[in-house]
Amino acid sequence: MEKIRKLIIANVQLWKAISYVAAIFSFIICFLIIANYFQINRIDPVNTEIINNLVERLNQNPNDEALREEIREIDLLARKAYFTNQWQIRTGGYFLLIGVIIFVISIQLMNSAKKITPEVGDKDENNLFIQKTARKWVSIGGAGIVVLALLFAFLSHNKLEETFNQAIIAENSGNEELTTKVPAVEQETANPIVQEESEEVDNVQEAVEEPQTEEIETNVQEIKDIYPTAEMKANFPSFRGPGGNGIAYQKNIPESWDGPSGNNILWKASIPLQGYNSPVIWGNKVFLSGAIANKQEVYCYDANTGNLIWTAVADNIPGSPTTAPAVTGDTGHSAPTVTTDGKKVFAIYSTGDVIALDMNGKRVWAKNLGVPENHYGYSSSLYIYEDKLIIQYDHRSASKVMALSVNTGEAIWTTERNGKISWASPVLVQTNNGVEILLLTDPFLASYDAKTGKELWRIDCLFGEIGPSVAYADGIVFATNEYASLVAIKAGAQPEKLWEQYDYLSDVPSPVATDKYLFLATSYGVVVCHDAKTGELLWEQEFQEGFYSSPILVDNKIYLIDKKGVTHIFKPDKEYVSIGKASLGEGVVSTPGFADGRIYIRTDKNLYCIGK
Amino acid sequence: MKKKIAIIFLLTIISLQIYNSFAVQRFPKPEFESGHTQPPTITPDPRSHALAVLDVFVLAAALTVVTWLVLKKRSRNGVFWMSVFAVLYFGFFREGCVCSVGSLQNVTLALFNPEYSIPITVTAFFVLPIVYTLFFGRTFCAGVCPLGTIQDIFALRPLPIKTWLEKVLGIIPFIYLGLAILYAATSTDFVICRYDPFIGFFRLDATFMMFAIGGIMLLIGVFIARPYCRFLCPYGALLNLVSRFSKKHLTITPTECIQCRLCENSCPFEAIDKPVLLKEKEERPIAVRRFLMYTIIIPVLILIGGFTGSQFHENLASANSKVRLANELINETNFGETEKEAFEITAFKASGQTKTELYTEAAKITKQFYYGGWMLGGFIGLVFGLTLVSLTIFRYKEDYTPNKGSCLSCARCVDYCPVLPENKIELNKSI
Amino acid sequence: MAKKEKKKGLPASLPNRQGRKAGLNRRDFIDKGFRFSIAVGLIGIVGSLFKKSQAKEYVWQLDPSKCTHCGRCATSCVLTPSAVKCFHVYDMCGYCDLCGGYFRPSSKNLTTAAENQLCPTSAIERKFIEEPFFEYHIIEDLCIGCAKCVKGCGAFGNGSLQLQVNHRLCVNCNECAIARDCPADAYQRVSIDDPYLFAGFEQKKEG
Repeated sequence: MEKIRKLIIANVQLWKAISYVAAIFSFIICFLIIANYFQINRIDPVNTEIINNLVERLNQNPNDEALREEIREIDLLARKAYFTNQWQIRTGGYFLLIGVIIFVISIQLMNSAKKITPEVGDKDENNLFIQKTARKWVSIGGAGIVVLALLFAFLSHNKLEETFNQAIIAENSGNEELTTKVPAVEQETANPIVQEESEEVDNVQEAVEEPQTEEIETNVQEIKDIYPTAEMKANFPSFRGPGGNGIAYQKNIPESWDGPSGNNILWKASIPLQGYNSPVIWGNKVFLSGAIANKQEVYCYDANTGNLIWTAVADNIPGSPTTAPAVTGDTGHSAPTVTTDGKKVFAIYSTGDVIALDMNGKRVWAKNLGVPENHYGYSSSLYIYEDKLIIQYDHRSASKVMALSVNTGEAIWTTERNGKISWASPVLVQTNNGVEILLLTDPFLASYDAKTGKELWRIDCLFGEIGPSVAYADGIVFATNEYASLVAIKAGAQPEKLWEQYDYLSDVPSPVATDKYLFLATSYGVVVCHDAKTGELLWEQEFQEGFYSSPILVDNKIYLIDKKGVTHIFKPDKEYVSIGKASLGEGVVSTPGFADGRIYIRTDKNLYCIGK
Repeated sequence: MKKKIAIIFLLTIISLQIYNSFAVQRFPKPEFESGHTQPPTITPDPRSHALAVLDVFVLAAALTVVTWLVLKKRSRNGVFWMSVFAVLYFGFFREGCVCSVGSLQNVTLALFNPEYSIPITVTAFFVLPIVYTLFFGRTFCAGVCPLGTIQDIFALRPLPIKTWLEKVLGIIPFIYLGLAILYAATSTDFVICRYDPFIGFFRLDATFMMFAIGGIMLLIGVFIARPYCRFLCPYGALLNLVSRFSKKHLTITPTECIQCRLCENSCPFEAIDKPVLLKEKEERPIAVRRFLMYTIIIPVLILIGGFTGSQFHENLASANSKVRLANELINETNFGETEKEAFEITAFKASGQTKTELYTEAAKITKQFYYGGWMLGGFIGLVFGLTLVSLTIFRYKEDYTPNKGSCLSCARCVDYCPVLPENKIELNKSI
Repeated sequence: MAKKEKKKGLPASLPNRQGRKAGLNRRDFIDKGFRFSIAVGLIGIVGSLFKKSQAKEYVWQLDPSKCTHCGRCATSCVLTPSAVKCFHVYDMCGYCDLCGGYFRPSSKNLTTAAENQLCPTSAIERKFIEEPFFEYHIIEDLCIGCAKCVKGCGAFGNGSLQLQVNHRLCVNCNECAIARDCPADAYQRVSIDDPYLFAGFEQKKEG
């Protein structure tokens, strides 16, 4: 140790010299790097305007070989310059680092060679003086900050929040004005005489209105043409998929897994409160709800990790009953599945409470629709069409279907139905007339225009306590109920029964249909396939367990989970071809949700994510 | 070929009409007759979780070693070499993120943003230094924090600055802390990370601005030791508060101070409290009256601060990208672009979000900033008030002691003290 | 000088010794109280974070379906060249002869000549496989993440060229500088177990 010390002390001059050299070296390198940096910015290869212009010129005279050569040369040069420059900066950086390190080491050595020469301060610093000066400057500093901040604030004062709120109002009223204008314009064309009379006045108005209305109409056209929308198809936004028709549009769905051993089970998360509803998936989030008599909740899980991201409680809702209505054990307080449009999530409970939450679980609005008089418990799931939340609300004292604004919860339209209680969920499908809502109750099947709520058609066909929702394919609606029948109805202004079957009927699972076939699962374990057009029974397959969960057609396969949690995967074909069978090891009554490469299954207590 | 181009042209036209047309399989994947096998898409793995856990252990170990060196071994040399280690490991090897200073924002974000859940390693990086500080003083700053230690190594010619100036500038970290928390809580930005001056050196790569700020900071640091730690670091502000109540702390002298004054100018950070003798005491009534006056005006300062903050909230909020976007949309300023539509506006149109939703969100964020402005301003007012009060207190002391708040436990002063543990005095001491 | 002061200081302080001790005890007590409350506060914070904790770290990744190909990935990254690179999702590639990601839109001759290439750094390699299919490789060292090819492929082809953060290069800043600048909000924190977000296909891990 002592030797090293001596060595260090002996060579102080050397260290000093080294430190000077290193400092000058670092300084020069630093200067060069900075110069290089500005150069590199000049020859950014991404924005080589010169080359772009030359190529443009070449396109105009494609036979100019000289120009072609020139471009190639410049391109090569530019790329070379760019990469060389980067290399230079990087190498320069290393040199600089080495220079600085040497500088610091030599100075540190120099310092350590110095004896500590403690200085005894000769002038007394008076504590009072220090405190006084510090107080003075703290005060001046604080006052300065306040003055500057206020000055800035008043100079740039633009009432941001107010501006935003006004903009929202302007935006909303703008939309409303436009939507009300559409029929107004139609009327004008219908009454040409009136128009002529007030032509002069209208001309001015029209000039203003026309472009806007056109825009709206094209918008409407676009939406009309795609339901479910691409966005909905990319997700799994509601019970039985987008529109609730039992079809999901995801790919690469796993065909084998095993619950007990965890094979292909990505994660498993426990669900705090019980509910016989199904998971819905949007982006990286999985939503579902749960409720007991005095507690209603919505849950959001991370689709990738299974972490419970948030829990929202639906309480303190005006009009909500103090005691929840009596429900049976196999329906529960939270049978309806939630739905989402990617911006908000909506849930409904046995109490008639509807809640809208944003994607972070913050409440947007909540209201009570009046307690449904339903001896098993309310069970119809929610759907969204554009900005409307569609709710089937058939109970003993009232039977109606309604659309609430997703943004405010205000009713946009309400249509009376005068049917009996129904436990079926709406199915939204695209037809030539736009988007129709298909609703089944005792004793009829009816269709409503999703935009206005107008009843388009209805046909008497079934009776009893109706549980299964309908299936729709190629203009045919398939409806079924236990003890009644399975019936195929040609949709349209003049609906007609195409065929009827009585052999195998369902009381819980809903059917699923392709253009050619109809598939139906029953609660006693038989799955059948009918020809969609003729009703001919093509095959029947008996399983050990019954089904409560509805079959979903996805990735050209049908996934159907029995009450014991065994999933049967088969082809949607005229013969029964099993593709696979996988067990979860836990009973399942909910319908699964799908994402690309994944299946989400809810059991009594847990949520499973299946995937590779 | 022509046919193909025509098809592509057609598809382009169709694609322009379909919303969000990205990643659609327009051309099916071919089946190769030549038996060509398709190469896999390469997806390099990120830094493994095990290494992140290792970092936490290294942090804990480094803290323990430095604490031992400072409190038990009383070795400045040891602390210096630990500083070098910290710069090499947490700096050059680890390349910065996540560091304890930045983790402050992750914790805030996790507390305020329901969508963000914090990795346990990040929580550990936040909590461990605070726990050590609570028991042993700011040993983290002394030899573990890479930001502090790189400055420490560069503190080559420290010059003294006036004590009162030190106290005044010492308020800045608290303001920075408040701002950082406000911006993290509103999910706007991680300002501490954004303006981290030294990270670029550790990565040997950064934007020009970052290098420039870092270079200037180091140059200043040659003459004014550890400028970032003393006058900016928000985590340091937090540790400063915690350290004041630490159970143990570095002492200049191993046993009893003999008033030799040798250490008086040894601290490059002006963190040694000099004796305050009774002769400096003011007449009691004046001192008491002043103390009471400053105590009473604290609420007033909080109110003034809060009011100022609330008035200033729009300026604060305009750093938020959503607020900015909404503002640009309403004023149709297009982010100052004149030639073409700003990327932000193009992206907003493509996102499918409606203006109403954006404005609602922006209004909500602005509201948060309004309340945040009150709280930030109030907090700053409180800091000013407490600083003023602390500057009126007369506390008799006759020894040279480190100021528990601002002392960074670097142990430089230890070398200056001639007192030996056995109560002997070493007369001709050199390192 | 020092001695003088000592003399002045000591006698004045002597009568106060007792009081000082009491004062010290009081200070100790206050310190202890504050220490305890800081500890409680800390435990409180950790406790409230407990529910919001997760075992593993995040990494940054961009969602190609949100990307608007603005080119900021190339310029905003703290690294030069950017850690964001173009990734080729071969599973989605149509192996087109006329590749919208490789050729400038107006190119008439489908050759690898400089005037035809869209990539400013010539980072895409075009390889003939069999009539009429061509395979395209990204040369990672040359790619600067400018998104020109991604835009071209997305507009004219299958969208098999996608920008992704290359985690071998990414230093995983606590706050990603590109995320801050991204106009489309396409950057997000993702789990290190699943660090890539390819659009339109299920990723396959490197073997």
